[in-house]
Amino acid sequence: MTVEKFLHTVDGISTWVGKACAWLIIGLMLLVCAEVFKRYILNMPTAWIFDASNMFYGTLFMMCGAYTLAQNAHVRGDFLYSSMRPRTQATLDLILYFVFFIPGIAALVYAGTDYAMDSWRIAEHSNVTADGPPVYHFKTVIPIAGALVLLQGVAEIVRCVVCLKTGEWPSRLKDVSEIDVVEEQLAHSEHVDDETRKAAIERAHKIDEEARQRGMGGDLQT
Amino acid sequence: MIISEPMLGLLMLVLIVVVIMMGFATAFTLMGLGIFFGYIAFFNPAEHWWQNRVFDLMVHRAYGAMTNDVLISIPLFVLMGYVMERGALVDKMFYSIQLAFRRVPASLAVATLIVCTFWGIASGLVGAVVVLMGVIAFNPMLRAGYDVKLAAGVITAGGTLGILIPPSVMIIVYAAVAGQSVVKLYAAAMFPGFFLSFLYLVYIVGWAMINPKIAPRLPEEQTRIPVPPWITRFQEIFSRNMFIALLKSLASPSKARGLEIDGKPMTYWALVRNFLISLVPFLLTGGTLALVWWYVVIHQQAGVEEVIEGLQPLGGAARETAAPVDKGTPFQFFLWFGIIAVLCAAWMLRSYWRMTGDRFQLVKLLTTSVAPLGILTVLVLAVILFGITTATESAAVGAAGAFILAFHARTLDWKRTKEAVFLTAKTTAMVCWLFVGSAIFSAVFAILGGQALIEQWVLSLNMSPIQFMILSQAIIFVLGWPLEWTEIIIIFVPIFLPLLKHFSIDPVLWGVLVFVNLQAAFLSPPVAMSAFYLKGVAPKHVTLNQIFAGMMPYMLIVIVCMVFMYIWPGMTLWLPTYLYGG
Repeated sequence: MTVEKFLHTVDGISTWVGKACAWLIIGLMLLVCAEVFKRYILNMPTAWIFDASNMFYGTLFMMCGAYTLAQNAHVRGDFLYSSMRPRTQATLDLILYFVFFIPGIAALVYAGTDYAMDSWRIAEHSNVTADGPPVYHFKTVIPIAGALVLLQGVAEIVRCVVCLKTGEWPSRLKDVSEIDVVEEQLAHSEHVDDETRKAAIERAHKIDEEARQRGMGGDLQT
Repeated sequence: MIISEPMLGLLMLVLIVVVIMMGFATAFTLMGLGIFFGYIAFFNPAEHWWQNRVFDLMVHRAYGAMTNDVLISIPLFVLMGYVMERGALVDKMFYSIQLAFRRVPASLAVATLIVCTFWGIASGLVGAVVVLMGVIAFNPMLRAGYDVKLAAGVITAGGTLGILIPPSVMIIVYAAVAGQSVVKLYAAAMFPGFFLSFLYLVYIVGWAMINPKIAPRLPEEQTRIPVPPWITRFQEIFSRNMFIALLKSLASPSKARGLEIDGKPMTYWALVRNFLISLVPFLLTGGTLALVWWYVVIHQQAGVEEVIEGLQPLGGAARETAAPVDKGTPFQFFLWFGIIAVLCAAWMLRSYWRMTGDRFQLVKLLTTSVAPLGILTVLVLAVILFGITTATESAAVGAAGAFILAFHARTLDWKRTKEAVFLTAKTTAMVCWLFVGSAIFSAVFAILGGQALIEQWVLSLNMSPIQFMILSQAIIFVLGWPLEWTEIIIIFVPIFLPLLKHFSIDPVLWGVLVFVNLQAAFLSPPVAMSAFYLKGVAPKHVTLNQIFAGMMPYMLIVIVCMVFMYIWPGMTLWLPTYLYGG
């Protein structure tokens, strides 16, 4: 298996799990809407809704951690970082992955496993409401999400090594990004002329990148 | 041990700043630092290394973030924003608002600012707004001969408004960090947010009136409202005044037969629809007034009466004494309400009296482009502010409403739904993992005594509250240059929060000042990101220095706004106090 294939397989796993769990947000929305309807209009609130919505939300963000890492979307202070050369970036990242990331996430997985196992052992139920729903499966999310992030972290470390060798960051899986809204808005616009529109859509990603470097990348000099 | 524990805490703080600057993902940096220093803090030679209590702390903190009942509204509000962003079309909004303000000085700049404010309600993304407005509004402004600095400033300043105006994610995160109520913070940020955008507006219009050269009036053919032929024909048949014409046509639709409305043959339903559109200004004004009346006079009085009934279980003669309890609504309210109502009524009469074909077309354009977004946000905010549902519930209903509106406008397909869902997942994971990391970090920081050390040190400086206020805001301002708001609110704000009590500063007021402050930080050259976004879409001849020069006045306006907020805390605190009590 080539390195690139390995990277894309790991990315694929994280992304697949993340995207699958992303749909929990629709579930959460419908759940809360149904509860609003029941509570305020039918006047019959449900006791377990609070726990259930926490589970939707908690699972959503924990399981998307690896997906977010695979897309390099965790917030980072990219003020100086983005103006460095890829090799410098990779060196820094490689060191910091070993110093901070691996111990931190490994501890999370270890502690989470213990925590979840305790919960399974006593068949723990939520104590937010009387006779609350079981929470052991919810607590199991912590070690699983931690393990996924750890796996993705290994892929990121491999990325750093590849980058150190070749001087270029290996590719990532394509995914939607925030700046894509420019394309969506302009594709439908009626009051902007074609040329400007196409130019803006084409350049949107590059503009995003350059703005994050705040002109320290080079070709944005005045 | 060589160094004391509080010193370790300070070392932690220094390290976090250094490592953030090195550009490593902040969430994991926080976790790693927390584990290391926590391990040292909890170190007990009698235990095995894997029994160190830092592991318990870590997992409890993680689980705490997973069951945090404030953070839960983040994904819902984020989803609402992403769906609206894909559902509402900015360029149509800009076009119709610009026509509506065609007689105002610097009409294009005013329209830009209004669209940005509206857009800020829907979404909190700085980059995308600046790029979009750069394409849609910047070039028309330059072509119309606007001053480059004016045009650049209004787009960059307007673009950063989004993070301040509720419902913004930043406010939810602050609420979670500070243990304040989200609703209260929303109410508090309401007036400063709109006040800031009002100050911008005053500045633009004022400058354009003093020096009309910087914003020349648009040529006549660009401000003409495109009136479709059926309206002209319609006016010929019935009346010059579209409102009367529509009324008449409803009574005798046969006369309008043979006309084509929007490319389709005339039906009675089309007439009714157009008539309803012509009623929109009236309904909006009347609805707002009625809502205020209902809330102040009826809703609150109902509450008072219920209390009285509860206190008198025996019933009987109490009815008469309970009736005159209207001390909740002072006479002043009726006076002002009356004046405003009369003014609105006069304005309505005047506009309906003068509703010509092009004015009607303008109302129609505005209704179709701005109204869906406007109605949804007003509903969501009203429901939150009046305390009818919790923030989470309003967020869920708002997100569902955004879906319905977008489906209705046929702007949302399967691809865009997927995109909105995935983007929501990524943003939520980013914010919440950061929260997990910082929860561990701050717990260890407090255990080591770093927090106490800082508190002692600050208290030993013997500062007055105002000095502390200025110092804290100055530090946050400087942090705002290289960092994103997520890092500032989640990592650095908690260090200041315990100190607020010593200086008896209201955390709500301080929080809103931080939100406004970050606006200024994000507008300060040479680090402001929005300038670079605008530079990316601007024509070649616009230099970065011109954009920065354009931003400067707005940065000063933000600072003026902060001074106002400090001198006159009522602007921030009146609404939350009025709605929810002290």
